[in-house]
Amino acid sequence: MRRIWQRLQGFLFYPDSDRWLSILRIGLGLQVTLYAFSLRHDWSYLFAAEARGPVRRVLSEAILSSETRLTPRLGWLVTGGSYLGATEEITLKFAWLCLLVASCCLLVGWFCRPAAVLAWFFYLCSVKSGALLSYGVDNFTTIGLFYLMIAPLPDRLSVDWKVWRSIPIDPGRLGFHRRVLQLHLCFIYFFSGCTKCIGSDWWNGASVWRALTRPPFGLLSPELLIRFDYLLPLAGIFVCLLETGYPIFIWIKRTRKPWLAAIVCLHFLIGLTMGLYLFALIMIVLNLAAFAPASVPATKKTLLFRRQRHDIATAERRTVEEGSA
Amino acid sequence: MICAAWFALHFLLIAIVCLRDTFSSLAQGVSGPASRPNELWSEAETIASAGLGGTLAAANPVRQGLAAYENFAGIEAGYGYFAPSVPSSSKLVFELHYADGRVEYELPHAGGAAAGYRIATLLDNIQRFHYAPLREAILKTLVYSIWQEHPDAVMVRAIFGVVNFPSAAEFRAGTRESYDQLYTYNYRFRSRPSRADAP
Repeated sequence: MRRIWQRLQGFLFYPDSDRWLSILRIGLGLQVTLYAFSLRHDWSYLFAAEARGPVRRVLSEAILSSETRLTPRLGWLVTGGSYLGATEEITLKFAWLCLLVASCCLLVGWFCRPAAVLAWFFYLCSVKSGALLSYGVDNFTTIGLFYLMIAPLPDRLSVDWKVWRSIPIDPGRLGFHRRVLQLHLCFIYFFSGCTKCIGSDWWNGASVWRALTRPPFGLLSPELLIRFDYLLPLAGIFVCLLETGYPIFIWIKRTRKPWLAAIVCLHFLIGLTMGLYLFALIMIVLNLAAFAPASVPATKKTLLFRRQRHDIATAERRTVEEGSA
Repeated sequence: MICAAWFALHFLLIAIVCLRDTFSSLAQGVSGPASRPNELWSEAETIASAGLGGTLAAANPVRQGLAAYENFAGIEAGYGYFAPSVPSSSKLVFELHYADGRVEYELPHAGGAAAGYRIATLLDNIQRFHYAPLREAILKTLVYSIWQEHPDAVMVRAIFGVVNFPSAAEFRAGTRESYDQLYTYNYRFRSRPSRADAP
């Protein structure tokens, strides 16, 4: 039992560099910045309490309250703002500005932790207050921001690191947080792939055809697509296999790089052909943060820390083996 | 130890949410080798929901806490996007009637493309809602937002339906998209929009 626990610890708390964290921080900073800019003209229109936009904010928040009253929402900010004499319009603009500033801070790595917390908070507020308007990209961005918020920041590429000269972070902690992200992605793809496999439409290409021609995603003309209709079943099967096989082949050293490259290409093509640019970006960022190999070698300090941990683990293992002998 | 406990709870919740949504997809019925009686999957979905506190009272702190944590971590929904098949696209048309007998047609719209995608999501959500009062409340809001742009209209008819896009083979044979009307609501207005008129 003790050996299993040690193995589990070794798997979960494996030493890693903070390169993945830099990818996650910069990627999420870019994602949230683009999200804020993409909705800059429609922000008040979408989130106003009165029916100026397509759906009242209070309606989304009432649905949210029926599930839980503890989730942050723009209504809280508007109520707080009204105590200070701010109108709803001003509070909504302030929330948008806070989100933008937090995302820009994340991009450069300035005040990483407060920026990550604020970006998560304001993003969650906007997503939950517009729950009827939210789709997959919002879930994945929230997942990324949640993991970033609790991750051992700052990373070595951030301004914080350069300014404050932080002490090196325990590589075991970095490894643990990366493992959580890796395993979560495995869950995502496995269940996404399985649910696609249980129907027949992904096997015969009907779903690929419909996804590519369905408004508002239909960026490619059906006349062009129909010329290559023999590829549709292949594309459908490819998607099913790629997603369902992800939790297996991403862990095997030989298949990791091709699988990662294939999944990144898939998301890139989804972005390109369906116009889901933000969705493509967040999926690519999460995948690269989770499984991209560290392109820059670890610093001397990190390597020393790693060597020390390795020595301690070896000594502990020897003690256990001697004890059991 | 704390990390390991959090890890276990976190992934337990993710697994339950994913299973619940997978069972829900199966309960709604799929064609193919996995077809089974729907009741079985509905029951499995209910059991999975119970694991997330679904059977507890709405105000129960455990249920509230679990739901809040799921929202915080972004794990409140499963990952069966476009699965088991891509659904039909929803469409909403507003028929604006004026006092002089004129009739104009309008579609829901937003300023930017990003908001446009969100409105498309909203329409798909309306299609999924089986609770009629909620569907009607959302449509009322949409109608009111359109009426604010056309305050002279005396009646707005909201026609909600689905666009059936032909399959590849049907498209090759010359079939084009068709529109199936699902619900129609009429809203009458007397004066320019004001707070009191808001539906």
